Amino acid sequence: MSRDIDVLIIGAGPAGVAAGIGARREGAERVVVLERDWDLGGILQQCIHPGFGLRTFKEELTGPEYMHRFIQQAHDEGVEFRTNTMVFQIDKGTNTVWTMNKERGIEHMTPGAIVLTMGCRERPLGAIRIPGTRPAGIYTAGTAQRFVNMEGHMPGKRAVILGSGDIGLIMARRMIWEGAEIEGVYEVMSWPGGLRRNIAQCLDDYGIPFHLKTTVTKIHGRDRLEGVTVAQVDDHMTPIKGTERFVECDTLLLAIGLIPENELSRMAGVEIHPVTGGPVVNDLLQTSDPKIFAAGNVVIVYDLVDNVSDEGLIAGANAAKYAAGKIPADIRRIPVKGGENVRLFSPQYVTGQADTTIYMRVTHPVEQACRVFAEPDLYSQRLRYARPGEMNEVRIKAGQITPDIKEITIDIQPV
Amino acid sequence: MSERKFICVSCPLGCGLTVTLEDSGEVLKVDGNTCPRGESYARSEVKDPRRVFASTVRVKGGKLPVCPVRSRTPAPKGKLFGIAEAVAELEVNAPVKIGQVLIHNVCGTDVDIVASRDLAAV
Ligand SMILES: Cc1cc2nc3c(=O)[nH]c(=O)nc-3n(C[C@H](O)[C@H](O)[C@H](O)COP(=O)(O)OP(=O)(O)OC[C@H]3O[C@@H](n4cnc5c(N)ncnc54)[C@H](O)[C@@H]3O)c2cc1C
Ligand code: SF4
Repeated sequence: MSRDIDVLIIGAGPAGVAAGIGARREGAERVVVLERDWDLGGILQQCIHPGFGLRTFKEELTGPEYMHRFIQQAHDEGVEFRTNTMVFQIDKGTNTVWTMNKERGIEHMTPGAIVLTMGCRERPLGAIRIPGTRPAGIYTAGTAQRFVNMEGHMPGKRAVILGSGDIGLIMARRMIWEGAEIEGVYEVMSWPGGLRRNIAQCLDDYGIPFHLKTTVTKIHGRDRLEGVTVAQVDDHMTPIKGTERFVECDTLLLAIGLIPENELSRMAGVEIHPVTGGPVVNDLLQTSDPKIFAAGNVVIVYDLVDNVSDEGLIAGANAAKYAAGKIPADIRRIPVKGGENVRLFSPQYVTGQADTTIYMRVTHPVEQACRVFAEPDLYSQRLRYARPGEMNEVRIKAGQITPDIKEITIDIQPV
Repeated sequence: MSERKFICVSCPLGCGLTVTLEDSGEVLKVDGNTCPRGESYARSEVKDPRRVFASTVRVKGGKLPVCPVRSRTPAPKGKLFGIAEAVAELEVNAPVKIGQVLIHNVCGTDVDIVASRDLAAV
């Protein structure tokens, strides 16, 4: 049977663009990336602050600059892109991919292998029931970021930020530079969600108050937001009576976490991990359906785009190998288990076919010298601390995966 | 002698730095850094703190109404709001090329404001 497309990639963010490059470099003839937006780059188009690609390019680029370099590489490698093309279905079993485009109408294709790189989306207000009204002026931080950085609109004049994810911190500084006032950032946990350097350069630099163990307990206003009630919470995250305070504001930004975007993966019948919210993958970034691979924030939410690009290259290369019949069906799968202080990690299986990095997050911060390790005796690295907001890595070499290994356990423990 | 503490923002590790200063203001030593970049960050943070500035400018006739810009090199921290105002006043015509200089020597800082993406005309 002649085949039109060898590797089909869904989503042209950093993961998808890198997957295209990886697939072409591995020798796949026809590699096509589908993107619903009119332009390439994914979320990085709106991340106009510097902080990207220090490891890859040895300088800190803004999101659009980082993507510019990768997109050029992809063009040079002969990756094809189709923009304004929405994938709305992947058939289970046959893996036929259905797309919609204004000029081309509805089309379907059955490629040799698929790479899922649809990224993630933000947790909305509905995810954290807050009593009160639902006036205008409440946005996820990423929506506000798109408004300001791509559409040229400011969401408001005086904002409160709920949650301390990096996007919220970055938006605090961004709105200050545009002349708005940020009343404060409120985080329900007792540790920050984002990177420490973003607390320093986005909040501390501008004297923006940062409140831990505090949350928004009520929303006020009829048409437009008029204010919120904030209160401290106890160790069970219940608001403490008597600590409530009314804060006047016209804007509430939510930076309360990201969730992998997996409607298509579910349709395709790919197994989804209950904790990561992304497909279960092995170290080849192959999902439970051998023909479907996945990379980037669709799998697990990464801190750094460098890691997303690395994973994209790996997934693209392995998809090309699969399409060429070079990945055996009876591949070994050694399960990875998370220890006591591991909240989530990826990949969940190791094949031993290539060197691999397992990315993980701790459940609770460890504010002392500790050790990240993989048993039986595969990896050990000392750390000065480990925090939920900052991913940790375990690196395993292909040669270390001997036939006697039945299971790998990863964890972080104080030393 | 005195001590100052801050977080190194030169990479995502975010090391906690402690700078020991002589009474004259000279840097005696830097602790807490994992790499040499941290030391130079600490030294400049004490003498001449700088940050990369990033924002948008309005665009006439472009595929988007605004185009992202950045300071090519870090700009003096104390001048950031002045720079923000200068950038807010600017409007450019599409197409814009990545790296194109939009403001030379912004606010007399010797720092250039450049476009950080390509933006086609409609
Ligand atoms: C709002 C927001 C802001 C962020 N800001 C930062 C930041 O400042 N710094 C940082 O390091 N990280 C940031 N991140 C994390 C960032 O997402 C990752 O670093 C990186 O962009 C992930 O790359 P990706 O390719 O996995 O996903 P994305 O960049 O999200 O790319 C996914 C692409 O898939 C496309 N797509 C999805 N579904 C379909 C479909 N059905 N059909 C066709 N195309 C589809 C999307 O349009 C998008 O272009 C942010 C994330 C979000 C959500
Ligand atoms: S000292 Fe070095 S490793 Fe630590 S945050 Fe600064 S640049 Fe990064």
